Amino acid sequence: MAILEVRDLSAGYGPIRALDGVSIDVGEGETVAIIGANGAGKTTLLMAIVGVVPARSGSVAFQGRPITGLPTHVVSRMGIGHAPEGRRIFPRLSVRENLELGGFTQTDRQALKRDIDEACGMFPVLGERMAQMGGTLSGGEQQMLALARALVGRPKLLLLDEPSLGLAPLIVERIFDVIGSLAKRGISVVLVEQNARAALRLADRGYVLETGRVTLTGPGAELAHDRRVREAYLGEG
Amino acid sequence: MAAPPPSAAPLPPRPAGVGGWLASRWELVALVLLAAAPLCIPALGGALGGQVTTLFIYCILALALNVMVGYTGLVHLGIASFFGIGAYCLAILTVPMYPFRIGFLPAAVVAVLVTAGTGLALGAPTLRLRGDYLAIVTLGFGEVAKVTLRNLEQITGGMKGLNPVPPPGAGVTVAGLDLGKAFAIDPRWFYYLSLLSLAGVVLAMRRLETSRLGRALVAVREDELAAQAMGISATRVKLSAFAMSSAVAGLAGCLYAASLSTTADPNAYDFNRSIMVLCAVILGGLGSIPGTILGVAILVGFDTVLAPWADSWIQQMNINPSGSSALSFSGWRLAIFGLALVFVMRYRPEGLIPSRRLAAELHEEGP
Repeated sequence: MAILEVRDLSAGYGPIRALDGVSIDVGEGETVAIIGANGAGKTTLLMAIVGVVPARSGSVAFQGRPITGLPTHVVSRMGIGHAPEGRRIFPRLSVRENLELGGFTQTDRQALKRDIDEACGMFPVLGERMAQMGGTLSGGEQQMLALARALVGRPKLLLLDEPSLGLAPLIVERIFDVIGSLAKRGISVVLVEQNARAALRLADRGYVLETGRVTLTGPGAELAHDRRVREAYLGEG
Repeated sequence: MAAPPPSAAPLPPRPAGVGGWLASRWELVALVLLAAAPLCIPALGGALGGQVTTLFIYCILALALNVMVGYTGLVHLGIASFFGIGAYCLAILTVPMYPFRIGFLPAAVVAVLVTAGTGLALGAPTLRLRGDYLAIVTLGFGEVAKVTLRNLEQITGGMKGLNPVPPPGAGVTVAGLDLGKAFAIDPRWFYYLSLLSLAGVVLAMRRLETSRLGRALVAVREDELAAQAMGISATRVKLSAFAMSSAVAGLAGCLYAASLSTTADPNAYDFNRSIMVLCAVILGGLGSIPGTILGVAILVGFDTVLAPWADSWIQQMNINPSGSSALSFSGWRLAIFGLALVFVMRYRPEGLIPSRRLAAELHEEGP
């Protein structure tokens, strides 16, 4: 059964139509990549799923329940984690406080501590910097914090927006390793990426978004070998 | 406004709690000293006692504003209007010209509920506003409230205000002591009532800082979208900030009207007062409880305690027999005040006792 079903979703900003009837499915424990150029509507798609950008038409269902039009915090509490574009960590709060806020809905202190320890287990560097302010971390560490913070909330589905943006290749590799391990923990992932090669290598399936529409879809490996994808997104001629 | 790049220095640990409630030993020491002061300093039984009482009341008002500006990052330029609404509510419920004439305590409870409700009413339509826009709306609200209080003469007494506001405990006799009379004669009763209220508000703020709601306020201040992604309802958090801030400001207003036994005229609740309280919070340190209190002690204390004292001293010394304003302290008051503010903001932009967060950010002893 699909954990997330997006049907004919349209959304936009003023006169601009950023999403134009997009339909995607994400299965339980599946990792799905959304690739596309700048302005293709990838970020808007995630924003519309969590309700930051209102849907103009179409529907979103999570675990079979419609969530279209629900406020963002309600969607988050249902089990959809969101690591938004640009990391959006809390720069003036310590790493620990950032992680604690990730588990805001967790009222059991013991469980919260366990979840934080677990998240730090994936990114040991965070454990060393617990008392440091989020804004003082390097870009890679901030991205790790954003990911860890989302995981502390124990999401069933995690939406990741450009986790590799502006990071050194070695750090990208480290972060993608962790993303790849999420499926084993039963977490479904929607991965929005410009780094199509890395994203498709990781993903079970992929969607190609162009000017707000899905133009191509298929298993990750298949897409990675598709001639059109190779020409447009993998820089091969 | 772009934030300066934060430094990499780790945050200093929180000060150890005394009983987990009063977060620093200094606060306890200050409380004991202030509680003992009227017994040792006879002057507090006179006009000085009333002035210090006013100081405590402004501390409560500044802590109310700190909830909005310090914790939640919502700029509020109309806090004095809630101060005024609290004062007028209490007056309407207690002055002889109205039929209610209920006691101070129930009247204060109603006044606090009314100001909280008014805060919600202002907050609800302005939820989407931030920064400059919210500042303008709250400024406008403050002016509207002031003009309304002035023009509803049949209800508010116009420029005369409402009086006499009876003292707390009027007509109540405890162990042969007429409480109302005691309050009316000896300013130390109001001194203790306001000190007690201030201590209660400080305690409540400490609890708030460590509570889930307190953390949610800060998260919304730092990044609203990210806070929502954590499951925090920005709507509820901001409305809570409005309600809490307004309620505490209303409490300060109740104490103010009762201690003066009048609401004073509506100009006592104008923009200048809002700005003065905001300056006190910024001077002391945004988001910092001891900082806010120190800011008020300096700014308001300068005005209500030091300036009159310096003036009377100059008069006594016969330095200024002609009464020229160039030689009176009050004539220079605003100039000194302004200069001091400029210097503090230049050399200590995070405030005198900053919250540990801002201190770490603005003092780049960095990597």
